[in-house]
Order: sequence, then C-alpha cells, then structure tokens
Amino acid sequence: METMVEIKDLTKTFKRPDGTPIQAVKGISLDIYKGEIFSLLGPNGAGKTTTISMISGLIEPTAGDAKIGGYSIREQPIKAKQLMGVIPQEVALYPQLTARQNLEFFGKMYGLWGKELNRRVDEVLELIGLTDRQKDRVQTYSGGMKRRVNIGVGLLHRPALVYMDEPTVGIDPQSRRRILDTVLQLRDEYGMTVLYTTHLMEEAQELSDRVGIIDHGDIIALGTQGELIQQVGEQDRLILNVGRQPVSAELLKELQDHIEGVTHAMYDPPGSGENSHSDRGLITVTATRGRRALPEILHRIAEAGLEVQSVEVREPDLEAVFLNLTGRALRD
Amino acid sequence: MRKILQIVRNDLRLFFLSRENLISLLFVPVVMTLVVGIFSGNAASESPEMLVDVIDRDGSPLSAQLLEALREANSSLILCPLDNDTAGRCELDGAGEIGPEQARGRLEERVTEAAIVIPPGFETGVRSFEPVQVTLYTLEDIGVPEAAEQALNAALQRVNGAAAAARTGAALVSQNGLLPDEDSRSAFAKQVYDRASQIWAEEPVTVNFEYAGDPPSGGPDLQSGLGQSVPGMGAMFVMFTVFGGMTALAEERAQWTLQRLATAPLSRAQLLGGKILARFVLGALQFMVVFAVGIAAGIQLGRDPLALVLVAFAYTLSITALSFALGTWIKNEAQAGGFSLLLSLVLAPLGGAWWPLEIVPRAMQIVGHISPVAWAMDAFNALIFNQARLPDVVLPIAVLLGITAVAFAWAIARFRYEG
Repeated sequence: METMVEIKDLTKTFKRPDGTPIQAVKGISLDIYKGEIFSLLGPNGAGKTTTISMISGLIEPTAGDAKIGGYSIREQPIKAKQLMGVIPQEVALYPQLTARQNLEFFGKMYGLWGKELNRRVDEVLELIGLTDRQKDRVQTYSGGMKRRVNIGVGLLHRPALVYMDEPTVGIDPQSRRRILDTVLQLRDEYGMTVLYTTHLMEEAQELSDRVGIIDHGDIIALGTQGELIQQVGEQDRLILNVGRQPVSAELLKELQDHIEGVTHAMYDPPGSGENSHSDRGLITVTATRGRRALPEILHRIAEAGLEVQSVEVREPDLEAVFLNLTGRALRD
Repeated sequence: MRKILQIVRNDLRLFFLSRENLISLLFVPVVMTLVVGIFSGNAASESPEMLVDVIDRDGSPLSAQLLEALREANSSLILCPLDNDTAGRCELDGAGEIGPEQARGRLEERVTEAAIVIPPGFETGVRSFEPVQVTLYTLEDIGVPEAAEQALNAALQRVNGAAAAARTGAALVSQNGLLPDEDSRSAFAKQVYDRASQIWAEEPVTVNFEYAGDPPSGGPDLQSGLGQSVPGMGAMFVMFTVFGGMTALAEERAQWTLQRLATAPLSRAQLLGGKILARFVLGALQFMVVFAVGIAAGIQLGRDPLALVLVAFAYTLSITALSFALGTWIKNEAQAGGFSLLLSLVLAPLGGAWWPLEIVPRAMQIVGHISPVAWAMDAFNALIFNQARLPDVVLPIAVLLGITAVAFAWAIARFRYEG
C-alpha cells in the first residue's frame, strides 16, 4: 500500500510554567496509507491534538519529522501543506463573514482564484448542505451548521489528506451523523485519506480502517480493529449500574482477585466521566467469558449490600483494548 | 504577494465591518484633534510675553541692529529695559538701567526668562572679523528660555551672515588688487556688510515661533494649536488603531482562524507580512484622516510635504512593529485590550502628543524620548513650526526606523501561532 503520511520519532516537549519540561508526544512513529481512514483514539490530553498540530505545521516538533506525500513538514512545509486540509476541533471561521466569504477567503489561501474558486465554493456549499444559507453571517448559524462550514473550508481545495480533530465535539446527534457520513463519503467517493482523532470509541469503530491508540503521548497499539481486539482475546465487559450506592475499594478488589476469569474491576461514581449528568454509578468488570462469571459477580455485589439496577454485557471492542492496555477507561 | 494582499483585504474588511472601529478611526480622532487644537490654540494666543533683560555694553548701531533682529525673530520677547513702557511691563520698579547683579536677581526670581549681555567692542569686533561672544543667561530645566536662545541664534545668524559676506567681499577685492589701500577696503567691507544686513532684513523671517504675535481676529491661534494637536493626536490615535492589532491577533488566536491560516500553504513571512501590512495601512489611514482635518482647518504643514509623509510613514511603521513585538507576550483579548490602551496613554503624553515637550523639565524631555512619539513630534514640530526640511529630520526618521528594525526582528523571532 502506498504511504500518504510517514511519521517518524515525532516528539514534542513543552515547558510548564515552573520551567520543568513535559513530554506531550513521545517519539511516535506510524504510517498512514493512501485512501484509508486512520483514527487516532485516546482520552483527552493523550497527545492527539499535539500530534495533529505538528504534522499540520502549526507547532514545530521538538524532534522527529513527518512526511506528507513525500514532503517533509520541516523541510518543505508549503508543499506538504498544499496536500492537506485541516479541520480543527474549534470552529475556525470569521463569525462576521458569511459562509461564502469564509470559503472564498480560505480558498484563496490555498491558491484557488476566479472561476475555479467559485466552482469549488459552490460544490462545497452543496456538500455541506448550506447553499441556501451561504449569504448569512456565520455568527447567525447553529453549532452544527458552523461545524459543517468548518469542515467545508478544509475540503475546498480537494486535499489528498484530511485531518479531522474531534469534529463532532459538542454538537447534536443529527449533525454528528451527517459529519460521520461525510467522512465516509470523503474516502469512498473522493478517495481521500483521512486522519481522524477522537476520544469516542464508537466513532473510531464505525469509521476506521486502522486505529492508533494513543495514551500519555505514546502510541500503545496500532492496527485494524480486528487486530487490536484480538489483543484482548475474548474478554467481555460487564457494566453494572448501582445508582448512587457507595462502592468500596475492597469490593472491587474482591471481584478482581477472587472470581475466575475476571481480570479487572473499576468503578465510575455518578457525576464522573460519561456519567457526569446522570445518577448512574457504574461498576465495570472485564472478564474472560463474562457471561459465565456474571452470577458470581452479582452474588458478591449483593453480599456487599448493594442492589444492582441494570447489567449490560459488551463484546470485546476498542474500549476493552484501551482498558486492557492502560487499566483505565477511555473517558478517564 | 497575491495571498498577502488577500490577507490585508480580509483584515481591512473585518475592521470596517465593525461600527465601533469606524467611530474610533474617524469620529473620535477628528473631534479630539479639533478640541485639543482649539484649546491649546487659545492657550498659545494668551501666552505671556517673555521678559528678557538686555545689558548692551557696546551701545553701538550694530548692537541696536542685533536687538532689532531679536525682536523680529520672536515678537513675544520683551527686551528690558528697552521695551519698558508707562505700564511698567519690564517690572523694573523705577530703575532705568539694569546692571549684571540686578539681571541675575531678576532671573533667579523668575521675573525674566533670560538675560543677554552684549560685550563692549561688539561692533568693532564684528567689523574687523574678530571673535566676539554674546552671553545668554537662562534658568536651567525650564523650556521657555529655549525660545530666547533660538531667537538670539537667529539674530546672530544675520549678523554673522552679513559679516561673512563683508569678509568674503573684502578678501576678493584685495586678492584681485582692486582696492589697494586699507581704508578703501574697510569702507568697501562696511558697504557690503550694510547691504547684506539690508538684504537679511528684507528677507522673510525664517524662524517661525508659536508666539508670533496675537492673531488679528483676537480668536484662538489655530496654527499653533492645531500645529501641535494634528501630529500629536494623530500619533496617539495611530497608536490606538495599530495597537488594536494586538487585540485582533489575540481574537484570531481565540477563534482559531490564525491557526487555520498557519496550516494553509503560506510562509510565515506571508502570513505575518499580511497581518502587519493591514495594520500599517490602518495606521496610515488614521494619520491621513487627522492631517486632512488639519489641512481643512487651514493650518500650514511646513515647506516639505515629502518629509512630513516620511516621518508619518516611519512613525506608523515603528508603532506597527512595536505592536507585533509586544503581541508576542499577549495571551488573550482582554490582556491585549488593556495593554494597548495603557501603552498608548503612557507613550502619547510622555512623547509630547498632548502638550509640547518644551514645556516639561529637561529630564522629562530626555525620558520622553523612550517613546517613538517624541521622535515623531520632534520631526513634526521642526517641519511645521520651524520650516525645516528633510535633511533636518533625518535623525528622528532614522531613530524610528531603527525601532522598527529591532521590533520586527524580535516579533518574527518570537511570534507563535498559538498563545
């Protein structure tokens, strides 16, 4: 397979306010192939955005290099940047300008002029479904519409490679669905290579040809979804909702150490992680052949005086891979 | 270049889309320039006469001629006791003459602003081309005696000019053997001197001071007032407008459009060049607006419009460079807004944008020159009030361009797309 992005020993070290160094990206190396959707999956603060910022030329690597279509981002940044379309996490638009004015301006920055520019702007407006609102100022748009224009700007010059940095953060399910469909469309209809960062396992699973799992600035796993899930074998995840009842560390240790097949047990109290707006306190147990272990798990929890309100059994997935590799949930 | 111009165009479009920006670019500076100009014009027209004691120990026609030239050079000088009148404007308390001790006392008590002593043998010395020293006593650390000093210099320039002409003429006739005896040569030299003095007197006065007499209408002295307020307010509002670039840059960082531009196939020079050029254009436009107000109000901007444009250009460039250099420290819009306002309100008065630096103590005049405004105002004042030309303002222009070079070098080295 032909390589579109070649990342080698890419490192970024920042300085804390007290002057001590912190390594945000620790010498990562990976290849992204032409025409694939590659997801960089990791929790917030794992180093995804820093990695994208380096390979898009926004910040300079402390060490290492990235080649885009054979052009080094350090040595030939202009040629490398011409091949890429960057869709940042933030809505990077001029709110005072209309969607068309934004597209026209950024199009010119990518060397599009005259009739060619007009044609591309029309195409992109059609693609993002905003032809009828093109003359309205962006500041009057909904969050989802802004996101669509944000994506449109990155696609205007038909780049061979598109970076999308968590493009679905903070938008409604309908707009999210539309964006995910657009990502698939970019690969399937336009043959673009997509580098997609997310902390949402579901998105990575739905979109990706290959996934790189990043944590604490390091790539800890890399491969197709099948390859990654094989790493955890047949481990199921059992998610038990115990509401607002307090869960002791002793109970978790007992579940982990004394039930056959259980490899890991953890607790998310209500109001933490994905439960931030719910009353659900969740005990997550990773176990080989989880269904067999379930009765014993329920028994031990009942013995501890807790009442289980609901149980969910999940087949091995990327979340389980991350949990298996780090001992933490992706949302932590 | 095309991309740079598009960045400039986009930045100007964003600037003019804001009504607040239009008000701060057009309305406020115009009003402020006129108000400050008329106010300080009033102050100038009501300016007190400057008493200067004169001790003429020569009492010759030439010393009288020198004193007359002094009056012509600056009509607000009252030469005491010569110009004393029945109202006692020289405040002599009945004394008809002024001796050295009395002059010193009057100077120390600040009755007078300066004292001039013409030595005995002044005329003889000048006519025989011998060195002669006229002494000027002033008080330290006040600006007003500078006017007396300048007037004296202007008057002496006439005397020296005529003497130089006479000496040159006498040397030429002597060299060619036209006038063999000494008496004829002396008579010829005297004739040349008198003729040169006459020509000097017929020439328009070349030193132009603010205190050039009461305006005929009795109203405010607009030339003096607006001559200060147009460049002064212009310099200050250029700072407001250009330093606003720091806020705009912080805003672009916050809304991520700057980072998006950084990921486009643009060099750092193209991106920064576009941003800098846009602010420079706005600064230049600000100066044009304020100077247009001055011209419409009828003030004379001096004899060298090109020099005036060059000073405005160098000043605006230096402020633009400073803005981008300081912008490297700015983290957010609130910080940028506060910092640019504070900086403008410190540098403008410190550099003489609100009042002439001549009226502040000498130490403050020196300190004031840490502000680019002071260098610009030095040049503007020389061009507008003293009819200077480009060679006379090369130093302030060079200083402003020096500030520009250092600040740009710093800005380019330190600039980060992310805050």
